[in-house]
Amino acid sequence: MFSMLNDLILSLMIFTPLVFGVGLLGIKNVKIARTVAMFGAFLTFLWSLHVWFYFDGSQSGLQFVEAYEWLPALGIKYIVGIDGLSLLLVMLTTFLTILILISQWHVVESRQRYFLSLFMFLETGMLGALLAFDMVFFYLFWEAMLIPMYFIIGIWGSKERIYAANKFFIYTVVGSLFLLVAAILMYIEYHSQFGVYSTSLIDLYKVKIPYPQQIWYFLAFAVAFAIKVPMWPFHTWLPDAHVQAPTAGSVVLAGILLKLGTYGFLRFALPLFPEATEALAPAIMLLGIIGILYGAFTAWVQEDAKKLVAYSSVSHLGFVVLGCVGFYAGAGEMSVEALTGSVYQMINHGISTGALFFLVGMIYERCHTRDLKEFGGLAKVMPWYAVMLIIATLSSVGLPGTGGFVGEFLILLGMFQVYPIVSFAASLGVLFGAVYMLSMVKRILFGNVTKADNEKLADLNGREFLYITPLAVLIFVMGIFPNIFLDKVKVSVEYFAKNYRQYEVSVVENHLDSPDSKLQNTGWSESAKFHGE
Amino acid sequence: MLWVAILSPLFGALLNGLILRSVSRRTSHLMGVLAMAVSFLAAVSVAVSFIGSHATEPVLKYALNWIHVGTLNIDFEFIIDQLSVLMLLVVTGIGLLIHIYAGGYMSHEEGMYERTARFFSYLNLFVFMMLILVLGNSLPLMFVGWEGVGLCSYLLIGYWYHEDANAKAGMKAFLVNRIGDIGFLLGIFLTFKTFGTLSFTELKNIVLSGSLTPEMIQSVSWITLFLFIGACGKSAQLPLYIWLPDAMAGPTPVSALIHAATMVTAGIYMMTRLNFFYYLSPNTMMIVALVGVLTAFFAATIAMVQYDIKKVLAYSTVSQLGYMVLAAGVGAYDASVFHLLTHACFKALLFLGSGSVIFAMHHEQDIRKMGGLRKHLPITHFVFLVGVLAIIGFPGLSGFFSKDEILWKSFIGGQHMGFGLFLWIMATITAGMTAFYMCRVLLLTFYGPNRSDEHTRKHLHETSPVMWGPLLVLAALSIGIGYLGIPPLLGSLFGHAESNIFEHYLAPVLSIPESMHEHWAFLHASYSHGLEWALMGASVGLMLIASFTAIIFYGKGFAPITETLARTFAPLFTLLSNKYFVDELYERVFIRPCREMAHFLWAFVDVIVVDGIVNGIGRACAFSGAFFSLRATGSVHRSGMLMVFGFVFLLIYMMA
Repeated sequence: MFSMLNDLILSLMIFTPLVFGVGLLGIKNVKIARTVAMFGAFLTFLWSLHVWFYFDGSQSGLQFVEAYEWLPALGIKYIVGIDGLSLLLVMLTTFLTILILISQWHVVESRQRYFLSLFMFLETGMLGALLAFDMVFFYLFWEAMLIPMYFIIGIWGSKERIYAANKFFIYTVVGSLFLLVAAILMYIEYHSQFGVYSTSLIDLYKVKIPYPQQIWYFLAFAVAFAIKVPMWPFHTWLPDAHVQAPTAGSVVLAGILLKLGTYGFLRFALPLFPEATEALAPAIMLLGIIGILYGAFTAWVQEDAKKLVAYSSVSHLGFVVLGCVGFYAGAGEMSVEALTGSVYQMINHGISTGALFFLVGMIYERCHTRDLKEFGGLAKVMPWYAVMLIIATLSSVGLPGTGGFVGEFLILLGMFQVYPIVSFAASLGVLFGAVYMLSMVKRILFGNVTKADNEKLADLNGREFLYITPLAVLIFVMGIFPNIFLDKVKVSVEYFAKNYRQYEVSVVENHLDSPDSKLQNTGWSESAKFHGE
Repeated sequence: MLWVAILSPLFGALLNGLILRSVSRRTSHLMGVLAMAVSFLAAVSVAVSFIGSHATEPVLKYALNWIHVGTLNIDFEFIIDQLSVLMLLVVTGIGLLIHIYAGGYMSHEEGMYERTARFFSYLNLFVFMMLILVLGNSLPLMFVGWEGVGLCSYLLIGYWYHEDANAKAGMKAFLVNRIGDIGFLLGIFLTFKTFGTLSFTELKNIVLSGSLTPEMIQSVSWITLFLFIGACGKSAQLPLYIWLPDAMAGPTPVSALIHAATMVTAGIYMMTRLNFFYYLSPNTMMIVALVGVLTAFFAATIAMVQYDIKKVLAYSTVSQLGYMVLAAGVGAYDASVFHLLTHACFKALLFLGSGSVIFAMHHEQDIRKMGGLRKHLPITHFVFLVGVLAIIGFPGLSGFFSKDEILWKSFIGGQHMGFGLFLWIMATITAGMTAFYMCRVLLLTFYGPNRSDEHTRKHLHETSPVMWGPLLVLAALSIGIGYLGIPPLLGSLFGHAESNIFEHYLAPVLSIPESMHEHWAFLHASYSHGLEWALMGASVGLMLIASFTAIIFYGKGFAPITETLARTFAPLFTLLSNKYFVDELYERVFIRPCREMAHFLWAFVDVIVVDGIVNGIGRACAFSGAFFSLRATGSVHRSGMLMVFGFVFLLIYMMA
């Protein structure tokens, strides 16, 4: 039975939230609605757990592949698959969604069902974008993520929500349009080189675009992803979006959506246009370093706790970007350590920043402000809150023993092997990261309780414990036993790092059917040529 | 047994930390002490079996693989050798004594029980991290402990967090250490780049195999330099020492354990662990020696005029750490570690002694308000006296043996390295200053008239046995432990020419690569006994003179001459009592400009420039969109779309 599940597990994972999301729209009773939503999220998480346990970490190729012709005349297929680059992000998505639903459990507004259903749609969008291996489907999912987020910010946000939602939407759409154009051109190029049309990413990897032209293609893709990450100087939508978004929105935004930028960079821009990426690596590194330092400095002077965490994301994702361009000069190889670090750091950042946004949300719910001046001395009133905030902070500043250290360490160590100066400049971010995070902790937790109202704040309640504790535990598990996660992904990553110039994804079978029969069944012959025979 | 020693404090920390609030102060104290006692006993058993086996090779204990990516492979692997066994005993032994003492010291915590649970949890966690630091067999694992102790230090300095100054001091400690940590990290990265491994034993084998290329040796000098930056942070050397005096904001047992006996010596431990690297890099060693001696001197000058009893001890710690670094710099790692050992005993003793004073004085730390306390605190007075005699190097006490060894090695090392007598003269003057300021503290605290107010004086009383018990043990150690390292010169008087047990003990750990044997030959060359006697005599003489000066100045309270001197040398006095204005300098030169730049980046670059351009484009599009469509909808969407399509066409045009 499990092997049957393997054949459609990814589609199940993608569309379960969609079905539940649609269903939720018809449920008026909030209590039933949230139970249904939770059931849907939990089911999706179960599917992802299945993938986790059956995922073969010793293979670099795509697993659990499903491929169906959709519009054969246009070469559009429905292909989904998962490999080491996406596995952890998928797990993070399904996992965080559950926690977000727990954090929303107490809300009893009547329009809450729409909110929940938007989150379900969002999950579908994210999972789809992570798992799709067809440009058309990727693009659909990629854009589809925007819509629920747009409404989440625009309807449930704070005062300036409309401005923030528009800014978020336009910024991202502008970026994606570049991507769309370049993708269409790739599609045409594929036809002129191979005589057939295909939108399959696996096929498109084989397109050879001559070098100087590659730069334009690369830039078009990179802009889309750079805005999503966001890389400096495309980051200004982020603080606005975060500050205006409701807590749950911020958690998804920082936890997963941003990672799709770096993920897209790794999945598309780099292997499709390797020479261009190499040529532009210095510029990307420069932007990465600027992002790290600039984000840290601007975070330092924020008075709004949420804005501070938002800018810290700019800084942290700078590290991830750096790790993605650790090319050994002229060797056609990337630093495996740095790349693995990037993949790992995406998850760490999702967990620690997700936790930080949750924690900021908790005091916002209690005090209706996020102004750091209004706090102080909360460690005395809310000791457990203090513990959790400090744990999230430690991971954020990359203390050994937390996941944040493993990611940052791998990136910096890997980069040092390639560009020592870059690594040095980035390591300053480790210092400045501690500056703004500890300042925030000090202003929230330490000192005397300055406001009389704050004396009576309640410590974490059971529901809050329920969603923050798993993150706190994960922070340490990821820091002390990183191999649990790395073992699943490192073969894929290593293959990628060593073969990015002629990147080909192979297809790994996780089920009992022979590869041939499956490929014939699906009429997916083009991709079968390069692997598994 | 090693696992018991390491994990017991962690277990204690979790136990105390996770059941916050629910236990009484007494229980949390008992749990903390119990965890330490188990750890100490296990450590003793590890030490006995290792030393008993007369092994010259280290024993490695593998726990599990930590990170394995590409060619990077880091294990949780621990090393047992002469050096780590010694540190293991120091950390658990002194840790145990201080845990016991802390129960008494923290007993007046205004009835907030969860706070002492928190305290002992942090303290146990610190010991655990310190054990990782000293037992880890690779640079990254050491770094885990390195940052871990930094974290505990941060938490414990800011333990009484309701006072802003304490929280600030904790943060300062963490951040200044982070500067050093960047150096440490770069050292790790370069080591990996050069040698492809980070394990101490493997690195040692590579270096001692003698197959290093000149490029590798070049790298090693950078590695040692980077790592030394880390040591400057953790071991409070110039220019990163500024956090340590402020760290005294923490409870006194914390100052004794973390900021005197153990954590701050991590830098010295690290250099000793990597001695094979440092021996390869004479240039780095020169810098190390210079930084050490300058720190020792500089901190001692500040200590002479401070009035806060803990501040004096803090600067004295910085100064003594400078001695250790100096010894490391001249290649005398055995002398350095020996001083580390004796210093751990007598400085813990002095801090805990001062803690008893502060406890009895209701948290008064100003020595101007003390005086004559020996009548009220006879035991404390006695142990403090022992501590002072030990630190100033009074012949026969531990400090004498270790300091004398350092002075002697700095004399021969200085000449060999081309500093002439500079190192020795500076170090000896520092010894004189040490004698002066330590006697000053002793006299102003325990002798002369009592200058405290009526209320405090009435409540003066000797502390409880739980506090003076550990003090007596430490006092005994401060006297006795020096006899492990009697220099051959003195040993020969009693017919034991080879009596420096300590040097002999540590020898297997220290290994000079063959190519450098000649360079470091001076360390074990023989010199004339006359010279050695003369130098010893000179330093002891200076110490006595300085002590007598202190007695004249402060024997009966502040003698009039102190005032005269302060007035005559007013500018110097101001400079010293304000600690050379280094904090202010850093504030002006580094912190404020950074802060201003951050404001500029945000308020101008981010909000006005970048966002301005973004919104400007939007508005321009809106305008042109309105122009072309002749319908002023003002819709940002529409204009955004128009703009995008323009770009898109441009792009297609360019690619085609």
